[in-house]
Amino acid sequence: MKKADMITGVVLLALSGFAIQETWRMPASATFGPGPAFLPFWLAVILAIFATILFVSAWRRPATEEDHHSIFPGKTALIAITLVMVGLGLYIFLIEVVGYLADTFLFIVFLMKAVEREKWPLTLMVAVCTTALLFITFQFLLKITLPSNMFGF
Amino acid sequence: MYNIFDNMIMGFQVATSWENLLFCFIGVLIGTLIGVLPGIGPTTGIAILIPVTFGMSATTAIITMAGVYYGAMYGGSTTSILINLPGESASVVTMLDGYQMAKKGRPGPALGMAALSSFIAGTFSIIMLTLLAPPLAGYAVSFGPPEYFCLTFMGLTLVSALGGDNPLKAYISSVLGLLISCIGIDAISGVSRFTYDNMNLLDGVGFIGMAIGLFAVAEILENMEAPIKQVFSDAKLGFLSLFPNKQDWKDSFGAIWRGSFLGFFIGILPGSGATLCSFIAYAVEKKLSKHPEKFGTGVIEGVAAPEGANNAAAGGGMVPLLTLGIPSGGATAVMLGALMIHGLRPGPMLFTTNPEFVWGLIASMYIGNVLLVILNMPLIGIWVQLLKVPYKVLMPLILTIAATGIFATDNNIFDMWIMFFFGVVGYLMRKLGFPEAPMVLALVLGRMVEMSLRQSLTISHGSLSIFFTRPISGVIMTVALISLFSPLFPILWRKYKGRRSVA
Repeated sequence: MKKADMITGVVLLALSGFAIQETWRMPASATFGPGPAFLPFWLAVILAIFATILFVSAWRRPATEEDHHSIFPGKTALIAITLVMVGLGLYIFLIEVVGYLADTFLFIVFLMKAVEREKWPLTLMVAVCTTALLFITFQFLLKITLPSNMFGF
Repeated sequence: MYNIFDNMIMGFQVATSWENLLFCFIGVLIGTLIGVLPGIGPTTGIAILIPVTFGMSATTAIITMAGVYYGAMYGGSTTSILINLPGESASVVTMLDGYQMAKKGRPGPALGMAALSSFIAGTFSIIMLTLLAPPLAGYAVSFGPPEYFCLTFMGLTLVSALGGDNPLKAYISSVLGLLISCIGIDAISGVSRFTYDNMNLLDGVGFIGMAIGLFAVAEILENMEAPIKQVFSDAKLGFLSLFPNKQDWKDSFGAIWRGSFLGFFIGILPGSGATLCSFIAYAVEKKLSKHPEKFGTGVIEGVAAPEGANNAAAGGGMVPLLTLGIPSGGATAVMLGALMIHGLRPGPMLFTTNPEFVWGLIASMYIGNVLLVILNMPLIGIWVQLLKVPYKVLMPLILTIAATGIFATDNNIFDMWIMFFFGVVGYLMRKLGFPEAPMVLALVLGRMVEMSLRQSLTISHGSLSIFFTRPISGVIMTVALISLFSPLFPILWRKYKGRRSVA
């Protein structure tokens, strides 16, 4: 955690520096009272102070046994997490191309097969049922037009 | 008094319309389900439900969401008692004695007492809400921008100071949330800030996408690390075995009432939340007990007190939400965001402008509590069976409901990317020890903070003294500043003592 806190501190400092620089481009004060740059500027300053405290206190603290462990889980878990996010990204990216029905079906199959390593029968059953349930709920009960592909589904 | 009576009758008229009754039932049903299932908490559940409730009237929507909130408090105890695995964080303490009772062959009375204590405390807190909220709202009508700034500021400092083991990280989380709320067109000057010519950002960062990302997606990612183990209970639960005996009632009577009081009054404070209340109630019970050494070995007070407290806290949390528009924790923050999407501005005016909404909600909570006892006592066997649904099946379901729901609110794919982004951010925050509730609260309150701050400073010609010279805002500001610097007190005290011992 020690190293992680120090890195977080630096990242947050950079973020606040960026925000401060951005607020310079906004009009500083309006005719009456503080202008649009007022709050973001001071928030960024406060963030910088907090980030410095985080960094310095992590730096000065003697490393404990716990600090030697990585805060992130092992390789298998990280791969699973990455797969979920890649899948989700692709799902969002493709939803207007492939259409809601096919995209959702494929996404669930991906989650069950690639991430959870389930057997095909269960995978297909969950994928079909979930997709159908969601489609019926949103498209028919809540009357929301879900994205469709060039073939209209 | 007459007025409250009148209003309650109107409230029950609203709450007993078939639509509201149905959704109250659906709400508490989903709440119990979410409470029972480990790996999905009430905040996540409410966040996912927002898009689904979007097509309903605001009253029906909030009745459903509130049902999920207090329903989860009932359901959470089931798994704590039967398999030593908390369904959600407010039921962690219930495990200590609940599971021991189940091991000693008394799972029935433990479950029954959890449900009945929840019912008594829940009803108590709604009665208190009924009595306390109107005068408080009447008082709050006279609040101006300085009072509102102080209140929102206090909400943020309290959430951060109380809400975790590292207050500094909680403060950083709320500052980041406030900064995110600055994105979009400035409501006073019309200048666009941090938008980089992205049309989708002009209106600000979508609240639903952010909340679902931070809570639902991040929770899923965290659960991917260690597969949730499936444990089954073979306890035989007949309906009659659920009722606690005379001795149990005698032992628990005081605990239930103390839990109710503590839960409600601590639950009112912003930032406290149901989890904290259940811990405090358990600690108080142990301290007051004639046989504190027996706690942890399966005493029924150890189940009654925290279960009562977390339900009372759910009612207590509605007080600041309805009267001031300030949520007390993550779950109520999500509800506030949902109300704003429905075009309601929670706050004291709500009692005069939308009485049918406020009183309908309060009345529905009475009904919901009765429904919950019915759901939880005779049907407990069904809930236990539900634990057999593997998380593998739930995970794709939660993720796709969340994604579809976000799309459904605005027909906008960009909101899904916001969910994606905050899913990653939320996971990193969990790993780095930054709580996400202050960030969501800050985003919800952000506009109000900025408006009230700038209006106040305009009134005072830029002087900060306006926050201290007005009596109400002065008091609130003092509380806020004390809570802001409270994490420093132990450090200073240690230094002081260290110096004395050296000298």
